[in-house]
Amino acid sequence: MTTTATQPARLGPLMRLALRARHANMFIVLVLALFVGLIFGGIMIVVTTPILLNSWSHAFSHPGATIASSFNTVWFAYEQLFQGAVVNFHALRMLIDNPSKVNLATVLTPLSGTLTYATPLIVAGLGLAIGFRSSLFNIGGQGQVVAGGVLALLVAFSFHLTPLVQVPLEILAAMLGGALLAGLAGVLKAYTGAHEVIVTMMSNYTMTLVLGYLLIQSLFARPGARDGASKAVGATGQLPYFFSHLSASLLLNFGFVIAVIAVIAVQWFFKRSKTGFELLMVGQNPDAARVAGIFSKRSIIICLTLAGSLLGLAGMLELTGVDHFITPNFGGSYGFDAITVALLGRNKPWGVFFGAIFFGAMFTGGEAMQAFTPTNIQFSLAQVIQAVVVFCVATPALLIEAFRLRDGAHLVSTTGSGGWL
Amino acid sequence: MKLELRGITKRFGTLVANHDVNLVVNPGEIHCLLGENGAGKSTLMNILYGLLIPDEGQILIDDEVVTIRDPKDAVGHGVGMVHQHFMLIPVFNVVDNVILGSEPVKPWPVIDYKAAAARLLDLANEYNFEIDPQATIENLPIGTQQRVEILKALSHHASVLILDEPTAVLTPQETDAFMVILRSLKESGKSIIFITHKLREVLALADVITVMRLGEVVGVTTPAQADERKLATMMVGRDVNLMVDKAPASPGEVVLDVRGIYVEDERGLTSVKNVSFEVRAGEILAVAGVQGNGQTELVEALTGMRRPSAGRITLNGVELAGEPVRRFLDAGIGHVPEDRQRYGLVPTLSISDNLVLDQLDDPRFRRRFGRNLKAIKNNGVQLVERYDIRAQSEEVAVSALSGGNQQKVVMARELSRELKLLICSQPTRGLDVGSVEFMHRQIVAIRDSGVAVIIVSSELDEVVALGDRIAVLYDGDIQAIVPPTTSREELGLLMAGARAEQVTL
Repeated sequence: MTTTATQPARLGPLMRLALRARHANMFIVLVLALFVGLIFGGIMIVVTTPILLNSWSHAFSHPGATIASSFNTVWFAYEQLFQGAVVNFHALRMLIDNPSKVNLATVLTPLSGTLTYATPLIVAGLGLAIGFRSSLFNIGGQGQVVAGGVLALLVAFSFHLTPLVQVPLEILAAMLGGALLAGLAGVLKAYTGAHEVIVTMMSNYTMTLVLGYLLIQSLFARPGARDGASKAVGATGQLPYFFSHLSASLLLNFGFVIAVIAVIAVQWFFKRSKTGFELLMVGQNPDAARVAGIFSKRSIIICLTLAGSLLGLAGMLELTGVDHFITPNFGGSYGFDAITVALLGRNKPWGVFFGAIFFGAMFTGGEAMQAFTPTNIQFSLAQVIQAVVVFCVATPALLIEAFRLRDGAHLVSTTGSGGWL
Repeated sequence: MKLELRGITKRFGTLVANHDVNLVVNPGEIHCLLGENGAGKSTLMNILYGLLIPDEGQILIDDEVVTIRDPKDAVGHGVGMVHQHFMLIPVFNVVDNVILGSEPVKPWPVIDYKAAAARLLDLANEYNFEIDPQATIENLPIGTQQRVEILKALSHHASVLILDEPTAVLTPQETDAFMVILRSLKESGKSIIFITHKLREVLALADVITVMRLGEVVGVTTPAQADERKLATMMVGRDVNLMVDKAPASPGEVVLDVRGIYVEDERGLTSVKNVSFEVRAGEILAVAGVQGNGQTELVEALTGMRRPSAGRITLNGVELAGEPVRRFLDAGIGHVPEDRQRYGLVPTLSISDNLVLDQLDDPRFRRRFGRNLKAIKNNGVQLVERYDIRAQSEEVAVSALSGGNQQKVVMARELSRELKLLICSQPTRGLDVGSVEFMHRQIVAIRDSGVAVIIVSSELDEVVALGDRIAVLYDGDIQAIVPPTTSREELGLLMAGARAEQVTL
C-alpha cells in the first residue's frame, strides 16, 4: 500500500491493478506465501538429496559449484512441477511446429489432470466455506461426501435412463444425501444445542461404517473385487469427458462446469440473496440478528443443509467423474483437504476455487516431479510446499510481520469467518 | 511522585493521534483528562502505560527521563492502569485476579494464597474498600469489580493510577461510592489521571483539568475557573447546547398500551411485575431507574425479544405479546438497543448493510431475485450524509467506526423505517458531548413528527431533559409516573424505592 502512495508511476499496469483490487494486500500475501513455500521446498530438496548434501561439505573449496548444482537441481525440480501441473513446454513447442490431435492432447494433459483433481475439492471447499462464514464448524465433510456418493450410486444402479436425465438425478440424490446428514446436525444444534463439531465428526465414523456395510450388499458389491470396491456406474450415469475425442488420458469432465456454476451460485448467495445475508448475520452476530427479527434456528438448519448438499455434490463429482465406483476409502481425505482449501481461499468462493486448483496442481505436478527428476525428488515435497503456502496464507500476520508490510491489520482480522480463522 | 509527559507526538499512518502533548501530574492530584471520543486521551494513556511507543517526546518521573517500552516498565515505575473494559478473569476469585502475574510463592512453586489474601485485606483496609477476597469475579457487581482492578494496581505499588472512563459502567450510586474511593486514594498521596467526558464528574472531582481536542491539548484549567458550558465548548471547539431544545409535547392517540405485564429473566425470576402504562403519539416517556431494576427485561418484552409470562402489549389496538420479533418490527416498533455493538450491529459488515439489517424484506431493498445492492448502497450514501456518520465511505465495516458513529448508524436505520413507536435504551451511553446533542435532537424530532417514544436511561440528566413524562422503575415495578419538573431529589428517592405517597410531589 505504501508503494502505491509514494511511487505509483514505477509499477507496471498489472501490479497497479492488483494493488487497486479490493483485497489489495491479499494478492501480495499470496505471492509472498508462494515465494516462501518455494524457498522452503528448495531447502528441503537440498537437504533430502544425498548428492547435494554431500556437495555442501565442500562448500568452502568450491562455493560457486555447490550453489550452482543445488540451484540447478531445485530449478529443474520446480520446472517439472510446473510442467506437470500446467503445461509442458516441450509438448507446446511440438504442437506449434506440428498441430495435430495427438500433440494437442499432450499439451492439455497436465492442466486437465490438475482441474480434474480440483473439481470435487472446489465444491467440497465451497460447502465448508458456507459453514465457516456462518460460524458453523462443519467437520463432517468426509461423511457428507460419502452420503452423496452412496446415494448417487444408488440412483445409478436403480435407473438406466438417458444421461440427460440420469446425471441430474444423480446430482439431486447426492445433494439430498449430504443435505440430510448435515441437516440432521443442524436440527440437533438448533433444537437441542448439540455442538455441530461433535455431531458432524461422529457422522464421519458412522458413514464410514455404513459404507463398509453397503459395499458387501449385493446391490453394490462387485463380484470378486479384492479391494472391496463397488460395481461401476454405467455409461449413462457418467459425467461426459470434454476431450475424450482427443485422448483417453484427458479426464477433465463436465463436473468442472458444475463446480464453476457452484462457485458463482455461492458467490451470489452470500452477496445477493436474503437468506445468505441472514446466514452471515447470524454467523457474525447472532444477538443482532435476533433483534433484527431473524430466526436463528432456521438459519442454522438452512446453513448446514446447504453446506451438506454441496459436500454431497462433491461426492457425486468424485464418483461419476473419475473412478465411477466406490471403494471403502471413498471420500478419503476430501473432508479434511476441503477444510484446508476453504482456509486457503479464506472462505471466499473464488478463493476456494483457486485454492482447490492449487491443490490439484501440487498433486499432479508433484507426481510429475517425482517421475521426471533424475534423483526422484519425492512427491511429498510438493505437499511440503503446499503446506507452507497454506500456513502462510492462514496466518497472514506472520508474513506481514516478516516482510514488514504496512496496513495489514484488516487481513488479520477480516476473514469473513466470524473469528474462526 | 511527579509525572510529566513532554512533547508527546504519536502518528498512525497519516493520522496524528497526539501532537506535542504536554501534561504534568503532581503528587496527590486528581488530574482529569477531558475530551471527546477520538481526542487522543486513550492514545496518550496507552503511551504512558507502555502499550504504545511515542514517535516523539519524553516521559519524566520526578524530573528524570524514563523509558517505558511495555506495561511491565510502566508498572515498575509506579504507573497503574484500570482499563474501561476490565482485565479480570471472570471465573477466578478476587485474590487470584489480584496476584495473577506476580504470585507469591513459598515454598517454590506453591502459591501462598494465605499470605496473598492477608496482604489483599491489609491493602483493602488501608483504603476502606469492602471486599471479599474469596468472591468469584463474575458474581460481583461492576462497581466491586472495578475496586478489584484498583486493588490490583495498588498491589503493584502504583503511585500514579490511570483510570480510563471509570464511571461509564457505573450506576449513580456506584459512582458516588467510587468518588469517595478516589478522594481517599488522593489523601494517601496517590496521583490519579481520570479520563472522562462527563463534565459533572470532572467539576466535582478534579484538581486540575486538561482538555484535549483532535490530538492536542487545548487548555488546562481547574474546576474553580470553569463551568460545564466552558468545558464543553473547549472539548467540542464550538458552543454546545447542553439543554435539550424542545417545545411542549402535544400528545395524540394512545399508541402503546401495556397492561399488567410480568416478565421473567433467564434465571426464571420475575423482574417485571405487573407493569401497566400507555404511551401516546408525539410524547416521550422516559423510564428512569437504577440499572438492574427490570429495564432490560421490560425493553425486551416491548420489542418481542422476551415473551411476557402474563399481561397484554397492544400497539394501535393490535395484540403483540407472545408474537415473534418480526411482528413487532412490522408493527412499527423501532428499537435502539442498549448494547449497540452486541444487539444493534454486525460489526464485520459494511455501514450500508448495517443500515438495512432489519429491513431485508422491504420492497425497496429487494429485487425479484435477491437483495437490491444498488438500492442498499444508495440508502447507505443518503443516510451517512443525513445523519453525518463520519466514515470514509458507506462501504466501510461498522467496526471501524467510533461509538458515536455506530450509534448514529443504529439510530439512522431505525428512523428510516416507518415507525409508530421508538424505543431507545441508554441512547447516549458512552457518547461524547457532540454526539449526545445530536442524538437528543433526533429523538425530539421524531417525537414532533408524531411517533410515540420510550427512552430508558440511567442518567438522570437525560431523563429530565428528554422526558415529557417520567416513569420510575424500581424492583420491576413502576413506582410513579411523574412530570419532568419533578426535582432530582424526589426522583432519586423514587429510584431508591420510596413509595410515591412518601415523596411530596
